Amino acid sequence: MVKISGIQVKNLVKSFQKGTVQACKNVNLDIAEGELMVLLGPSGCGKTTTLRCIAGLESPDNDDAIWIKGRNVTRLPPKDRNLAFVFQDITLFPHLNVRKNISFGLDMRKTCSKEEIDRRVQEAARLLHLEELLDRKPNQLSGGQAQRVALGRAIVMEPDAFLMDEPLANLDAALRIEMRTEIKRIQRKLLTSTIFVTHDQEEALTLGDTIAVMKDGVVQQVGTPYQIYHQPANIFVGTFIGAPPINLFPCSIQSRGTEMIAISDLFYLPIPEAIAKNLSLGSQNLTLGIRPEFVTIGPKLENSFLARVTLIEPLGSRTLIFLEAKGREIRSVVQGEAPVAEGEAVHVTFQMERVFFFDSTGKRI
Amino acid sequence: MAQVTDRSSFVHKTLAYAGLIFVLSLILIPYSYIALTAFKPPGEVFEVEWLPREWSLEAWRYTFKTVEFQKYIFNSFIAGLGAAILSIFIAVPGAYIFGRKQLRGKEIFFYIITVALLFPYVLLIVPITITWIRIGLYDTLPGLWIAYQIFIIPFALWILRGFFAELPPSLEECAMVYGCTQFQAFYRVMLPLARPVIVSLLFMTFLIGWSDFLFSNMLTTGEGPRTASVILYVTAVGGERVEWEVLMVMTLMAGIPPVLLYILAQKQLMKTFAVRRR
Repeated sequence: MVKISGIQVKNLVKSFQKGTVQACKNVNLDIAEGELMVLLGPSGCGKTTTLRCIAGLESPDNDDAIWIKGRNVTRLPPKDRNLAFVFQDITLFPHLNVRKNISFGLDMRKTCSKEEIDRRVQEAARLLHLEELLDRKPNQLSGGQAQRVALGRAIVMEPDAFLMDEPLANLDAALRIEMRTEIKRIQRKLLTSTIFVTHDQEEALTLGDTIAVMKDGVVQQVGTPYQIYHQPANIFVGTFIGAPPINLFPCSIQSRGTEMIAISDLFYLPIPEAIAKNLSLGSQNLTLGIRPEFVTIGPKLENSFLARVTLIEPLGSRTLIFLEAKGREIRSVVQGEAPVAEGEAVHVTFQMERVFFFDSTGKRI
Repeated sequence: MAQVTDRSSFVHKTLAYAGLIFVLSLILIPYSYIALTAFKPPGEVFEVEWLPREWSLEAWRYTFKTVEFQKYIFNSFIAGLGAAILSIFIAVPGAYIFGRKQLRGKEIFFYIITVALLFPYVLLIVPITITWIRIGLYDTLPGLWIAYQIFIIPFALWILRGFFAELPPSLEECAMVYGCTQFQAFYRVMLPLARPVIVSLLFMTFLIGWSDFLFSNMLTTGEGPRTASVILYVTAVGGERVEWEVLMVMTLMAGIPPVLLYILAQKQLMKTFAVRRR
């Protein structure tokens, strides 16, 4: 599929306090036309700053950082970028009713006829189930309704892109999940490029066509939700994504005949060919990572080791089992009910084709 | 609400009402005495009777015809109105900057202005009078308007800054993303939101100009835009006899317009000073 470029961020650098704090260090992103990209990272990682630079609410240090549809907009004021921003703290204009809030951008733009504005407002209201609320003031709306109005205000602009800065963070859990689905559905319908900032990995995985994981002002990895989950670029991405989190063990690599073996005080594991070809013999200080769902509890096998079940947490359709071996905690997730009981000694096996190796700098090998 | 039945809450309510009635009478008794005295003939003023034996409009006639007090009431009105409008034009943009914009040395500037609030402005009256004479503002309405700003502005900035600072920071950003320039964001979003506070300030600064005695007394002459409170004073101290009934008429005339204004502005005033609830 040929990607038509929607928004490009090129070598974005943004520093604060006279250059002493760098919020974005050389950020590069490419959001295709119609794509929904999620910027994911812990708080303070520069994701919101990146978004604000795209919107024009912050001014990047470099002059050619932000491109929209092939046009350099880095130094344009926000209003001339044809973007729609949805804020975290649900910023409706308190003195205007819902209708006027939704049409605010169009009213300002003065290029639409009154009928056209009315039509677009009605359409957005229908899409967001706001028809009944058009004459209310913002203080008469619930949190979810207010955020829908904010979305409506963005939609009627028919912008080049939606920029959403944790728009669901202030909503309660049930509503957040509902709105998440709603946003994705609307995005699919309008096919407007969207950048969605969140620190919630579940939100990121469910929403994003692609996810860009950021940390300390640097993009760690850009990829589809499956790539991010199953092929993390480094330990940070591996641990940040996934709940319950990935298991990590220090290990080294040795050979046994033609095979390579991962060795630690806990295990002695032959490595499958496909993974082994990237590894070098005698490597020390490696980290082996394996997601809990690939840690199996079962019969004694050649590569299994003994562990004790310390705690069982039912997660509904799955069950999380905490195991302990030689002072290390291991998390295992099984489908359905736990096949073991707390306190029991069990045999643990890793599904070796699902194992990651990270080098001493944290990069995945 | 549940029905109040038990004894302690009955006592509580009774005491509360007693307190209210006491405070209310502290205010209402003198006022009604003023109103009644205004209708007494001069001979009856010192009698202890509450109601005038003979209702008289003599004092009113004197106030309107001889003193032409309405002229000075009008002066007071213009002095107050001008001071109020001028202060809004200065204080609203100022407070907006102090409340919401990054500015080097902003805090220090603001503290200096706040200190001006503490300065006893009586001390300024002589230098101001001399300066006003020199630059031609003496005995003019604009002279009064500007003089009042000296203590109105710090006060207005102080109230408005708090208001602007409390509004969510993303409001203007939002306006700017949706098509506003910086100024439009201020004008179309911040200003309408500040309306109740601005109305309250208009009311309070109007009152300052309306009831001011000191500046009006020093900066105007009998031929110029002298305000009502000065005339009230002159009536009280001039002449062989204090004409209480006339004073009472003037007091009523000077006292009622602010009350009417308060009733008009009440809704906005409540919005400004009531505890904010979300």
